[in-house]
Amino acid sequence: MPGAKFDIAYLFDYFPKLLSTLNVTLTIVSLSILFGLGVGFLVALPRLYKIPVLRRLSEVYVSFFRGTPILIQLFLIYYGLPEMLKLVHIDVTRTPVLVFVVLTYSLHAGAFISEMIRAGVTAVDRGQAEAAYSVGMNGYQTFTRIVLPQALAISLPVFANLVIATLKDTSLAFTLGVMEMTGKADTLITLGQHYIETYIDLAIIYFVISFALERLFRLLERRLLRHERRERTAGKRFGRNVPSLRGLLAESAGVPKGGAGG
Amino acid sequence: MIRLRRITKFFGRNQVLKDIDLTVEKGEVVVILGPSGSGKTTLLRCINYLEKPNAGEVAIGELAVDCKRPSKKDIQALRRKTAMVFQHYNLFKHKTALENVMEGLVVVRKLAKEEARERSVRVLEKVGLGDKLDAYPSQLSGGQQQRVGIARALALEPEAILFDEPTSALDPERVGEVLEVIRNIAKEGITMIVVTHEMGFARDVANRVVFMDGGVIVEEGDPKIIFSRPKEERTRQFLKRITPEANYSI
Repeated sequence: MPGAKFDIAYLFDYFPKLLSTLNVTLTIVSLSILFGLGVGFLVALPRLYKIPVLRRLSEVYVSFFRGTPILIQLFLIYYGLPEMLKLVHIDVTRTPVLVFVVLTYSLHAGAFISEMIRAGVTAVDRGQAEAAYSVGMNGYQTFTRIVLPQALAISLPVFANLVIATLKDTSLAFTLGVMEMTGKADTLITLGQHYIETYIDLAIIYFVISFALERLFRLLERRLLRHERRERTAGKRFGRNVPSLRGLLAESAGVPKGGAGG
Repeated sequence: MIRLRRITKFFGRNQVLKDIDLTVEKGEVVVILGPSGSGKTTLLRCINYLEKPNAGEVAIGELAVDCKRPSKKDIQALRRKTAMVFQHYNLFKHKTALENVMEGLVVVRKLAKEEARERSVRVLEKVGLGDKLDAYPSQLSGGQQQRVGIARALALEPEAILFDEPTSALDPERVGEVLEVIRNIAKEGITMIVVTHEMGFARDVANRVVFMDGGVIVEEGDPKIIFSRPKEERTRQFLKRITPEANYSI
């Protein structure tokens, strides 16, 4: 077995050391999601509104970032982008690595977020928009006030997955030498050869944050979908108290139940 | 007040409306009858441009829109003169009953929140839902949802309300409560165009009945006359099928 002998003391010793770089990890996650939302939104619109050329472009973008490993995207952007910018005489050699990392994760998240928004908007019943038009709203008002809020509520479970996936994906940023949590772990291992202790700590930290995020999103989902909850008595109408399988499935997927008049 | 002239509508190569002319006067209650696929719902939806006619002219009051080249502004203006009650209610799912009614008043009519609220509460009380202001659509029965839908239309104080089969999706026992509300509104002299299969309602409430089939208006006139001695054979067949004489033999 490689490395030093297992020593539980290191488990406690490394913990604060790793946590000291947690802020870098969280910065990458939050910035990437934030920019990803912006990108995803812009990319989803041409496809939702079927704008001829832009629509193709966003399709290509989405399939590239969904179809290639994020590690390769990191390398391509970190090594490739400066070369391309050199052609137009922009020098980015002094730009911090973190910028490239955030850029990659933003574009990566953006591709998934655009799909998420598209699916969410498509899932909103067409009658909702028609009702909005019928009271005299314009396209913008209809989209922002009626369709989007419902689409976001539908998309929230997917979004939660994405945030957690991004958190875990940031562990790849160390390959470019960024001192986030996994990067820090890498250095600690080089110094002390305590592989297992370090990775146990790392696993615990990632897990706790993921778990907390999951809980947080579940609360948020319950709040956003409060209009979907029926009053207690509704289920008892036919003398049964058991919720339907379909209802449960819909609930766990965060999708409103189908059927007319729902 | 509402004038439809030579309205033509295709779905793909299928022509669903063929040169339809229809005029509705202020305060009139017009019921459109006809078998499914006759184009009656499409015609109704052309009035507020949820369906874009391929040709013809839609005019409400002073505003006339040529369907060959309607501007966004015209469509918007047309929609603001009418309100619609949908078959599947189409209440905003993420908003309470009160918010559903207030939405158009605040966002479109730019009323102050307080004023919009007052008017909405008043209208919801009128349809018998004064105690359901804060309920979400999913917490309401079909009949209650449809009454919110009617309140939403009524609150806008439109020049005309368009009803698209307002009771077809309801439990039979809920139909009455909704028809009752529509009946009361009709008495107030609001212009209404109603697509429905409720013959009793058509007979009692309509000033005029329009019978459509195959994308054309076959016959129109006073409900008493249409129901008792229709001129056209097609109307006669339809009425016979939909209101069979009592016959309980098996």
